Amino acid sequence: MKINKSYNFHWHILLLIVVLIELWPLLFMVSTSFKTMDQIFAATLNPFPTSFILDNYLRVLHTLPLGSYIINTFIVASGITIAKIFTSLIAGFAFVYYDFRHKETIFNALLFTFFIPITVIIMPNYLLISKMGLLNTPLGVILPQLADGMGIFLMRQTMRGIPKPLIEAGQLENASPWHILTRIMLPLIKPAIFAMGIVFFIDSWNQYFWPLLVLNDKASYTLPIALQMFISAEGGSEWGIAMAVATLTSLPPLLLYLVCQRFIINTFMQSGVKG
Amino acid sequence: MLKRFTKLITLLCLSAFVISLSGCGTAQKSNQKVTIEYWHVNAESFGGATVKQLIEQFNKENPDIEVVEKYNPDMYKGLTQNLQAAMASGKNPDVVQMGYSYLNYAGENLKYDDIPELLSKQAPEDKNFMQDNFLPNIISLATTDDGKQIGLPYSVSVPVLYYNPDILKQAGLDPNKPPRTWQEVTQYAQTIKDKTGNTGFFMQEYADNWAQQALIESNGGKMLTKKDNKTVAAFDSPEAAQAYQIIADMVKAGTGLHASNEEAFQAFLSGKVGMVCTTIGKRENFEKSAKFTVMSTAFPTFDGKTRKVPAGGNMLMIFSKDAEKQKAAWRFVKFLESPASLALWTKGTGYLPPRKGVTEDPNGLKDFVAQNKNMQSAMSQMPDVVKWASFPGANGLQAEQALIDVRDVILSGKQTAADALKQAADKVNSLLQ
Amino acid sequence: MKHYHWQPALFLAPAIIVSLLFSYWPLLQDIWLSFHSWNMVSPNMKFIGLQNYLQLISGPELIKVFSNTFIYIAILVSINFLLPYLLSFVMAHRIHRFSFFYRSILFIPSTLSLAVASIIFLWIFNPLAGPISLLLSTMGLDSPSWFKDPSFVIMAISLIIGWKVFGYNLIVLFAAMVAVPKDLIEAAKLENASSWHIFRHIIVPITSPTALYVFVITIVFGLQYVLVPLNMLTQGGPDQSSTNLVYIVYQYGFVFFQTGKAAAFAVLTMLVYAGFLVIKSKLLNKLVHYEN
Repeated sequence: MKINKSYNFHWHILLLIVVLIELWPLLFMVSTSFKTMDQIFAATLNPFPTSFILDNYLRVLHTLPLGSYIINTFIVASGITIAKIFTSLIAGFAFVYYDFRHKETIFNALLFTFFIPITVIIMPNYLLISKMGLLNTPLGVILPQLADGMGIFLMRQTMRGIPKPLIEAGQLENASPWHILTRIMLPLIKPAIFAMGIVFFIDSWNQYFWPLLVLNDKASYTLPIALQMFISAEGGSEWGIAMAVATLTSLPPLLLYLVCQRFIINTFMQSGVKG
Repeated sequence: MLKRFTKLITLLCLSAFVISLSGCGTAQKSNQKVTIEYWHVNAESFGGATVKQLIEQFNKENPDIEVVEKYNPDMYKGLTQNLQAAMASGKNPDVVQMGYSYLNYAGENLKYDDIPELLSKQAPEDKNFMQDNFLPNIISLATTDDGKQIGLPYSVSVPVLYYNPDILKQAGLDPNKPPRTWQEVTQYAQTIKDKTGNTGFFMQEYADNWAQQALIESNGGKMLTKKDNKTVAAFDSPEAAQAYQIIADMVKAGTGLHASNEEAFQAFLSGKVGMVCTTIGKRENFEKSAKFTVMSTAFPTFDGKTRKVPAGGNMLMIFSKDAEKQKAAWRFVKFLESPASLALWTKGTGYLPPRKGVTEDPNGLKDFVAQNKNMQSAMSQMPDVVKWASFPGANGLQAEQALIDVRDVILSGKQTAADALKQAADKVNSLLQ
Repeated sequence: MKHYHWQPALFLAPAIIVSLLFSYWPLLQDIWLSFHSWNMVSPNMKFIGLQNYLQLISGPELIKVFSNTFIYIAILVSINFLLPYLLSFVMAHRIHRFSFFYRSILFIPSTLSLAVASIIFLWIFNPLAGPISLLLSTMGLDSPSWFKDPSFVIMAISLIIGWKVFGYNLIVLFAAMVAVPKDLIEAAKLENASSWHIFRHIIVPITSPTALYVFVITIVFGLQYVLVPLNMLTQGGPDQSSTNLVYIVYQYGFVFFQTGKAAAFAVLTMLVYAGFLVIKSKLLNKLVHYEN
């Protein structure tokens, strides 16, 4: 097809406007975090601080146990990610490799959990976690999230794409199912697992609602929870600092994405999530 | 590259995960010391540092006791949530800050230590501590409707009217003559709007009815009343409606602001709102963040009527179960309520001290109050302090929400204050049945 | 494929145990709790039969909750489904360069926390000092109090969600759009088919399974994403104008401490969700048949 430049010029304008709308709030967050209180109010619309200051960041470092927030968030996010990958992998394998009764029903029942609204199950889960004495522990946040319906679904989809002869060859050599999973299938679906892992990690890094209930000791906070301290009832109106914490909270998932963006987007494109 | 990156991430995640799991065990208790837990709602930007300082001092002076502090987010709502969960799992804290608006709820639903009972058992020498050191209207702040003393008043805050002197000057008003009555507030707001284009006035819109109660009761109305031994709504009176309508009319005229607190405070600090009516607890934060000199005056009154301001803030409740902990908890509470500690507390938070004599005490707050004009406008209101209306019963919190909802109805101009308050009263009464 | 019972059971055990314990058991517990009056701590939990349900049905609240939920759905579907659907078509079939650049940039907000988004937008929507109000005032307009005005609050909250989710949905839809064979479109063009014809009879049918998926998650997750800004910014207000089916459960459970009534709302919400998902899978089956 020939490219008709004048024809698609206006589409680029449209897309650039959308890009601007999506990027501007971020720019706003970052620039506010470098402004003094005066500039925040006086030069609200100017995206570039008139004098670039690090005060807000220094104050965050001095007043908040930022290191432990980062570690807490990391523990929760990586714990959930690893657990979900593992449970999704073996469950997806069971659905592809075996035939058993009620297979579809079980699969649908697992997938269904993905769609249950969080508030519906949050109260009983909260009572359960508190009875187990796990409030204020990362384990309490992680435990209800050890499996993921969508993860199982994606793993099943991906494994279905593996050529049958490869698996049959393994069976002929009398390899155990575990061997077939880890030695034959795993290497083939690594990119999909990696991409899924990144999505899980970013999602759990950003979690707000469930950790907010489970973690009520300041020392066990994750970053998104720490953020709400800045707008709580009597918390104060220190916008520069709030924006600095917001920026720091966003940095890890953002960097992870930027480093792997080509890979993430391509995997998304190839797997073509279908429901 | 990708492969190595994957491995690295996996390794990092794994190790972090393992560490976290092994770190989950609860801390060991030492045998010699009594450890007690103190729960508070003081975020870093709101007295958190003072809490730490006080505890450090107490622990140093009392080697046989170890106080551990715990911050609870989301104010008393968040704290109550956590408290209920902790008690359900049998692990209760020892000393807890409880908001006055939760007075009846706490009295009915939590297993607290009754203060007179605790004193007569564990510290008979302090039997008259309350009566000796607190004004009667302050003691009543921690007394439930059925007469139980469930805690000790600790922090007291009152509403004041903050204003931006620059805007007043610009509008041709004298910053040293702030409005004293609500009629004047309305006039000032109008002048500010006309002369400067800025919004004149904002009254706090937290998820409670504290400032609105001050407004209603200062006009001779009441929030709740007892009828046949039942608590019923009383805010559907003409006095209440008249008071509420003043604010609604300002919003309607464009001289008043109806917005969320964070938004309105932000606008005030950036010099876009002339006057803000909110708690004295905001003083330090305002003074620090504003680009102008924040000034304040006492909560305005209605012509010829007495001012009545509900006490905001909190009391200290004790939840310890065994004698050793109860004794330790009382010693800690007594320390927190000492003039020197209260002085520190006031400086760190902006709360007023609940005890007699702290402001006159040279070791206490004498100099501080003398230097701080904004504190004076709050201090002068101590005799006007009344109880914060607390909605009883299992539906109490929902009843309070109904009154919060009605604020939005009135201020948005959808209904007149009289109509809206009448409907809300019906709803509250059915919830309080 | 092999027939063993214990082997698949072993592989499935972790996922099944977690789902039973933390998803299905809570659902059952909700049902049980919904027949009681309880405040989460009190030792005496009172059995009150269907009273919670009766109160729930007779109250005016339910109508508000449902109508709000529908408004949310309408707005969310427009900005997070229709808009990205059209834009992904543009990106896949109307431009020929920089598509990767657009995709990479537009995806960025989906990597951020909703807590971050809420804080940024609280500032942006400030009616007096925020950037939007400043822009409006240069045009001589007064900014509404976005989070305090019943007619704007749902829009404002949905825009926060829209901002965050837009890019993700766009990429997923784009993947489906590029999978539409180019020669099909070329052939239609040779037959002088109109753009609308191509869109309606080639693009829409082929992309419909993915579109349906995005449509469903837009609604199912949109209503949940909303929880974060609701919790941080409005608490369901003003006058319950921003609450919805998902938030009301939280409000009764953790703000009013009325566990029984919260559970009754939870059961209702679950029924609505389940109904929606059943309709969706029926529809999906139809579409798949159509495709085959």
